[in-house]
Amino acid sequence: MGNQWKLKEIVLMSILGVVFGIIYLAFFLIGQGIRNILAPFGLAPFGYEIIFGIWFIVSIIAAYIIRKPGAAFTAEVIAGITEVLLGTAAGPGLILSAAVQGAGAELAFALTRWKDYRLRVLVLSGMTAAVISFAWHLFYAGNIALAPGVIVATFAVRVFSGALLAGVLGKWISDQLAKTGVLRGYALGKELQKQREQGAA
Amino acid sequence: MISSINPSIKAIAVLIPGIMLGFTFDVFTPLLYFIFILIVTFTMSDIPISKWLKFFSPFLIVAASFAWMTILYANQTFSYGKVLFTIWGLEITEGSVITGCSLALRSLCFVSLSLLFALTTDSTKFMLSLMQQCKVPPKITYGILAGYRFLPSFREEMEILKQAHRIRGVHRTKGIKGKLQQLKRYSIPLLASGIRKAERVAIAMESKGFTGERERTHFHQLTVQKKDWMFLALLIGGLAVIYITSYYLGYLNIFGKQF
Repeated sequence: MGNQWKLKEIVLMSILGVVFGIIYLAFFLIGQGIRNILAPFGLAPFGYEIIFGIWFIVSIIAAYIIRKPGAAFTAEVIAGITEVLLGTAAGPGLILSAAVQGAGAELAFALTRWKDYRLRVLVLSGMTAAVISFAWHLFYAGNIALAPGVIVATFAVRVFSGALLAGVLGKWISDQLAKTGVLRGYALGKELQKQREQGAA
Repeated sequence: MISSINPSIKAIAVLIPGIMLGFTFDVFTPLLYFIFILIVTFTMSDIPISKWLKFFSPFLIVAASFAWMTILYANQTFSYGKVLFTIWGLEITEGSVITGCSLALRSLCFVSLSLLFALTTDSTKFMLSLMQQCKVPPKITYGILAGYRFLPSFREEMEILKQAHRIRGVHRTKGIKGKLQQLKRYSIPLLASGIRKAERVAIAMESKGFTGERERTHFHQLTVQKKDWMFLALLIGGLAVIYITSYYLGYLNIFGKQF
């Protein structure tokens, strides 16, 4: 996070973090709703897992737009701080959970040395975030007390959700934003511009 | 008074017990700590009980459903003891009920620790303290503050968007597909305007001489005093004493291991 970061990139990352912090809080209620619907079928543990990917999305969006080491991690932590400042059920420990998830998402980008931002890497990032965060919740939320079958099934659902809701949806939202032209000053917008010029030539 | 405790120290003081609580699976330890936090909250801060209850009460339901889920799906390590009753073909044992109640109480501890922090901390001071005590780069903290300040304006912009849609004859749509389209129509422009604002704020900050250097002066100089360390020691020491007490009374259970 040194000098190679421009101020506008940092402010953008912070604003994304704050905005998605609120969205994350809203999805907590949605998860609770899904869980109440699923509970009579005995599927309550899956209530949050189905939509768990949404809680990694800011990592993917920030990394995909800004394309610098640390973007995925920091944006997620900022979202976590916002949630804590606004008041959340998970408590200040949520900042730790956010750091773990952000590190998980960052891992996929680190593996490609922060050079590859194709869909497959974004999907991988959603999945690594899911894997790491799942391990963390085994300990932190006490999920380790659940039956092995339930643990394996919830794990599969979370990874799938991470791939889809964070990876694919994150890319889609960023691409839609890039189309509006507001990202012209950032890596994603510049890439789009280049593609357009090549297409025109 | 808790509102005058240094925000960074306060954050650490609620964070560490939060992690330490992750080890216990008995009822006694989190219950005692929950009572301890309640005592701290209502004797050392001026949060009105009614306000606290307003924030806290929804989480009782969350905690209850959390307990219920664990009771139903506890694994072998945690479903010790005799079978109490059977539901939907699942045997509910003494151990799983204890584990479920323990996890519920743990989450109530998290909530009350969180409220203790959130209801007594000013977000600007928290950011200033992160900068001054934790050496977080000013670029990030001021960025977060700027983002935080934009929150109220999002609501206003949402209104404008709604009116703009109405004047152009875009109506509410039905069905899941329509709802998704509607979500896109609102979320993308809102985010786009947020990004524009981010860019404008960044340029304004730089043009007014903000370099993001760590060597800078502050309007509010926050310091760490003896009382801050005492608060930290109180919250962590309290948990340590409770752990020891529950060990001597034979209640302590760490990851399913009885001590």
